[in-house]
Amino acid sequence: MTTVATARRVEHVMGMPISLALRGRHTDDAAARDAWAQAVETLRDVDRVFSTYRPDSVVSRLGRGELDLADCPPEVAEVLALGEAARVQSHGAFDVRRGGVLDPSGVVKGWAVERAAVALRRLSETDFSLGAGGDLVCHVAGPDSPPWRVGIEDPHDPTRVVAVVPVRGGAVATSGLAHRGGHVVDARTGAVPASVASVTVVHDDLTWADLDATAAFALDHEAAAWLTARGRVGLVVRADGRRELVGPAATPHD
Amino acid sequence: MKRIVLSLLSTLSAVVLLFGYRTSTSGPDLAATTGSSTTQTLVRSGGTTTTGDVAQTRWGPVQVQISTDADGTITDVQVVQYPDGNHEDQEINAYALPVLVDATLAAQSADIDMVSGATITSEGYVQSLQSALDQAPA
Repeated sequence: MTTVATARRVEHVMGMPISLALRGRHTDDAAARDAWAQAVETLRDVDRVFSTYRPDSVVSRLGRGELDLADCPPEVAEVLALGEAARVQSHGAFDVRRGGVLDPSGVVKGWAVERAAVALRRLSETDFSLGAGGDLVCHVAGPDSPPWRVGIEDPHDPTRVVAVVPVRGGAVATSGLAHRGGHVVDARTGAVPASVASVTVVHDDLTWADLDATAAFALDHEAAAWLTARGRVGLVVRADGRRELVGPAATPHD
Repeated sequence: MKRIVLSLLSTLSAVVLLFGYRTSTSGPDLAATTGSSTTQTLVRSGGTTTTGDVAQTRWGPVQVQISTDADGTITDVQVVQYPDGNHEDQEINAYALPVLVDATLAAQSADIDMVSGATITSEGYVQSLQSALDQAPA
């Protein structure tokens, strides 16, 4: 494989590092800079509407009953609909409402990054990989472009990777406890997953990769079976370090 | 009005990029690069409407029409012909199963471009593998 020059950019939005890698025609010209600026602005817009850390955000006001859904931008209804679909499909383990608090963060991240990637898809003859706090959208422009090689972080040692997935077009999302203890709980019981350390899902779009990774992680020991039943591709790393591939040709592993 | 202009500009940039031209926000320049068979029509305001050649893209033929006023400012962009194929189709399932790597392998040896991990926060980013990759020379 020939080495392809990769240009990289980083910004921090929504408390997360947003990383962009570009290869091909538009890596460091005005078109690339414009697309990156648009992608970052999209994420900032989403943050203004959906942040649960901002008391004045639309979602915070909606959660306090100061706004009706009809008064919100249409994307709020879209995100809540996605959250509801994920709640039903995960048998309630995933829920944007817990204990009376509205927190659609579990839906918003992947959905927002997928929206931000729209500006990058317009760059002709350019490959991109857009990452937001460990979730990624990847795209290559031509049939001869090499895939992006995405390392899946070891949940027990963030300096190592446990697997690599080559992605030409698609998304990779990982959910787990690394870096932020107790972030995901089973919405039915409030329990923090104990038998699973991380769940990675590879899918066509990041919205559902992220939803499914989060829901599967909340389902804890049922994670791999649930993903398999949904026909998903991914990797479950158990708390004891065992790795379980999920997918059509996956075979049981160490 | 501002929103309309912005939307017009973004349409234009999308179309220009789809064509694969170098970025240009100037109508006459775009017309000049569309080739000899470009047709121009004078319109009432003293501006022109220019229809570009049909460009063959990966996703099928694309043709755009750009209207400019007397100053050469773009006033309208119409896509005369869209590709009928949906390019997203090419991307469906354009990924493979993850490949497990030797657990003792240092990340630097795994030849990776990006990292997927559980909620890397801005606070934790400095120590992260993704941070190391982001700082790698191009």
